[in-house]
Amino acid sequence: MLLQEHSGLVYRVALRILGAEDAQDASQEVWIRVWRNIKNFRGDSAFSTWLYRITVNTCLSVHRKESRRGEREYSGEEMPFLPEPPGGDADPEAAALGAEQREEIQAALGHVRAEHRAALVLRHMEGLSYAQIAQVLEVPDGTAKGWVSRGRAAMLVALAEENHGAGGTAG
Amino acid sequence: MMPVGEQRWEMLERIGAYAAGELEGEEAREVERLLFERPEYRRLAESYARMLVMLTTLGNEPVEAPEAVVGYAVRRAHVLAFMRSAEVFVGALGRSYIDAFVYYLGLRRESYGGGT
Repeated sequence: MLLQEHSGLVYRVALRILGAEDAQDASQEVWIRVWRNIKNFRGDSAFSTWLYRITVNTCLSVHRKESRRGEREYSGEEMPFLPEPPGGDADPEAAALGAEQREEIQAALGHVRAEHRAALVLRHMEGLSYAQIAQVLEVPDGTAKGWVSRGRAAMLVALAEENHGAGGTAG
Repeated sequence: MMPVGEQRWEMLERIGAYAAGELEGEEAREVERLLFERPEYRRLAESYARMLVMLTTLGNEPVEAPEAVVGYAVRRAHVLAFMRSAEVFVGALGRSYIDAFVYYLGLRRESYGGGT
């Protein structure tokens, strides 16, 4: 069934873009929009692209309604470094994410500008190509690439700030 | 001349693109030269790589929508299907009534049932 197959995608993307608090309401709003507009789906793009588009647009409109979370400014004075995992990068244990790291990633994502965050999530968490991201966000390919690039840099700055207590940034 | 903050930001984005494997040819070689010469850039590239692994790992973890979301979506689908059927039914009923009324008033020449 269409819904069972895609409900995970909708909730997952909403969770990454908005966080756990708003993901459920946003997902429900997505399905309202899907049922309302499904007769307009002409198959010009893949169904998943269309669904991504509705999900991202819904998440961005939810984000616009809520008060803007503080986007981290990069002063340029410090390099945003992440601490090396205790066992080194090659340690397979280090690849598994702990609850604390998950929280840090989600918190850091919250400090990236919404459009850039959406582009970053689609690229590095959903694994979409730039052409697909451009279709989902309805922007030119170059803009999609720029948003991912800015989102990636802003995410590193925010993540280094989250890790600051553990020596995240350095001069 | 670009302000220092902007220059640093541009470098931040370039190294990010390199760490993500998105630079090719001369652009990639230029960043590699910088990484070789500047240990802080090397550390930055490592930080990016670490962050990208974390994002990919988190992105690959299966996420299931809560039952409430799926249940709500199913209910909405049923309501929509019912409304669509009701719309078709009421529309057809309305058209039949109008046809009958038009026939009753004698506004249409041909009669039902192939009469006179």
